[in-house]
Amino acid sequence: MADNSKTEDTASDSLEAAKNATNKKEKLADQVMQNPQVLAALQERLDNTSLTPSSYIETFPKAVIRRIDALKKLQVKCAHIEAKFYEEVHDLERKYAALYQPLFDKRREFINGEAEPTDAEAEWHSENEDEEKLAGDLKNAVVIDEKAEETNVKGIPDFWFTIFRNVDMLSELVQEYDEPILKHLQDIKVKFSEPGQPMSFSLEFHFGPNDYFSNSVLTKTYKMKSEPDKTDPFSFEGPEIVDCEGCTIDWKKGKNVTVKTIKKKQKHKGRGTVRTITKQVPNDSFFNFFSPIKVSGDGESLDEDSEFTLAADFEIGHFFRERIVPRAVLYFTGEAIEDDDNFEEDEEGEEEELEGEEEGEEEEDAETDPKV
Amino acid sequence: MADIDNKEQSELDQQDMEDVEEVEEEETGEDANSKARQLTVQMMQNPQILAALQERLDGLVGTSAGYVESLPKVVKRRVNALKNLQVQCAQIEAKFYEEVHELERKYAALYQPLFDKRSEIINAIYEPTEEECEWKADVDEEISDEMKEKAKLEEEKKDEEKEDPKGIPEFWLTVFKNVDLLSDMVQEHDEPILKYLKDIKVKFSEVGQPMSFTLEFHFEPNDYFTNEVLTKTYRMRSEPDDSDPFSFDGPEIMGCTGCQIDWKKGKNVTLKTIKKKQKHKGRGTVRTVTKTVSNDSFFNFFSPPEVPESGDLVACSKCQTWPLSFSSLKQLLEQKKISNGICDDDSEAILAADFEIGHFLRERIVPRSVLYFTGEAIEDDDDDYDEEGEEADDEKDQNPAECKQQ
Repeated sequence: MADNSKTEDTASDSLEAAKNATNKKEKLADQVMQNPQVLAALQERLDNTSLTPSSYIETFPKAVIRRIDALKKLQVKCAHIEAKFYEEVHDLERKYAALYQPLFDKRREFINGEAEPTDAEAEWHSENEDEEKLAGDLKNAVVIDEKAEETNVKGIPDFWFTIFRNVDMLSELVQEYDEPILKHLQDIKVKFSEPGQPMSFSLEFHFGPNDYFSNSVLTKTYKMKSEPDKTDPFSFEGPEIVDCEGCTIDWKKGKNVTVKTIKKKQKHKGRGTVRTITKQVPNDSFFNFFSPIKVSGDGESLDEDSEFTLAADFEIGHFFRERIVPRAVLYFTGEAIEDDDNFEEDEEGEEEELEGEEEGEEEEDAETDPKV
Repeated sequence: MADIDNKEQSELDQQDMEDVEEVEEEETGEDANSKARQLTVQMMQNPQILAALQERLDGLVGTSAGYVESLPKVVKRRVNALKNLQVQCAQIEAKFYEEVHELERKYAALYQPLFDKRSEIINAIYEPTEEECEWKADVDEEISDEMKEKAKLEEEKKDEEKEDPKGIPEFWLTVFKNVDLLSDMVQEHDEPILKYLKDIKVKFSEVGQPMSFTLEFHFEPNDYFTNEVLTKTYRMRSEPDDSDPFSFDGPEIMGCTGCQIDWKKGKNVTLKTIKKKQKHKGRGTVRTVTKTVSNDSFFNFFSPPEVPESGDLVACSKCQTWPLSFSSLKQLLEQKKISNGICDDDSEAILAADFEIGHFLRERIVPRSVLYFTGEAIEDDDDDYDEEGEEADDEKDQNPAECKQQ
């Protein structure tokens, strides 16, 4: 049905009407919002009635609130079932830890030169093989002289030490004087609490014989809470680290890097005489990891700094257990660190505008057949 | 005067201690350290040294390839052996996640009676007893007696004015409206339909089946469609990718399928009809054309963009491998590595959001719906997504089974 007037492409009549109505509404709204009296009234309303879901609920009839409370009670029961679920997950983790252990034991042997991988065990083709070879050749060109010595090198030198260096969270803890000690670190193991025991896990740091301390293993145990809090059952999200315990390091004489000696001059207020005393004070060191702040047993809460330090400690313990120990080689090569970085970057800009665009209502398309 | 120089602090008299003031501190045993520090400072100011250092750093930083390849051949061999062990670990890990999935299925059956009761209360099939409704208010909410009286009067008035509503009216619709991720999907024309939503269930794939979960949306009889249940199934990948075994981090959603909605006549809110006036370029004549186009609606959730199934997991030649995890999808989107063809930007964005929604419904909404109804859980979730570089929220990180897309 041809209309001979030379009209431009326009929206249909109905759409136009709708548009006009919307425009009118918008204009009205604008006018209203500019009227100070209206604004004041609105503000008062807003102040008096918050728009949170919880206050929305307060407007409900009693009978409905009753039923909502019943749902909350059911939810508490769910939380308790969930606690049992997490206990079973923990059991599963313990079971699988035993399955991983032979692989981790072999890893330790290769790292420390206790065993040598066969050709089949050492065969590896990566995607970036050519790139890596080039990078390697360039590097090797510079250090030709050292090569002769290196064929005698045992295992993978400084394996765990390198991981500490590569991972920010850990390298921040390591001081210069810790480094020679960490080079003796041969293995880190994760041990899980047994069934029936309160839920916990331990990190075992296995050291080779060294000049610094006589222990062969340093341990850190993290205790977990895996039950909903009676006063706040809905905050339960699974097991949480709530406390930790270190161990005593039997330092050899003069080797304790966690303390330093300082000399102080003191002046007697009355007499005016001056004396010099020596004092032992704590020294920054990775090995303070094994003497964590105690979470107070008598319910006293810690100051903010201590809480922050503890929280950081828990995060490190968790990170060792979940990422470092299971995937150590990837932190040694750095592959896992790039992954972790990528993961963090993704957390930004989570909220994307997802609505598809509205179909444009104007089209220049006289060629197509009309679809009715 | 006794010579008290160089005594240990602990040996000194308490009396003496109180009378002294600190004059100055010297540090011993650190002379060597301070010398080293001085040297370092000097070195760092020498431009040639800096340049050499920089070059070394450039070579090493960020490229795992560089560092490892610079190792002696005999060490590299052992590192490669470790990588092979790591692949075996990834395969064991896959089995671990399968068992976690079984555990989830087992527990789903334990939760189900509680969820069924929930549904009965919401939909007025069951009225809870007094005991079942006993709930202490939060300590924070202590109200004065005067307020309580006032509230009671208001309530009685309300009850007289309103009919006693059945169950918990518009329960699921309210949940949808409270949660940004969901309310973004819901249009005005969807709301009357969502009032008929009476339950959402999660079903897990059975043993031996490929890993998946299904969301079932149960509706009361209504004027809009005849289906009683609308379903959305999410398929998951739970094995390491042979070409990239180290990227395996637990099961990931890789695709999804919806279902057909049997709309009643004229009620399909996912379509709209538009009229268009078109002008013939040559002749100048104008005609009116009606066209059916897709309409924004929550119910498009049941017709997601198709993800072609494929054995070697490649969707289209322009894409990276498929399936993609939610986070890698977003990455590709940002890097604009996804171009035209099957995988246009819009589809990708929609799918990524879709996976997130499916995961969220399964992990959070269904298990804890009352807390989303009251709003309590929403504040918690906001904490999760706090981006301003605050210290990590440890509680959220402790889940052994983490918030992976399972």
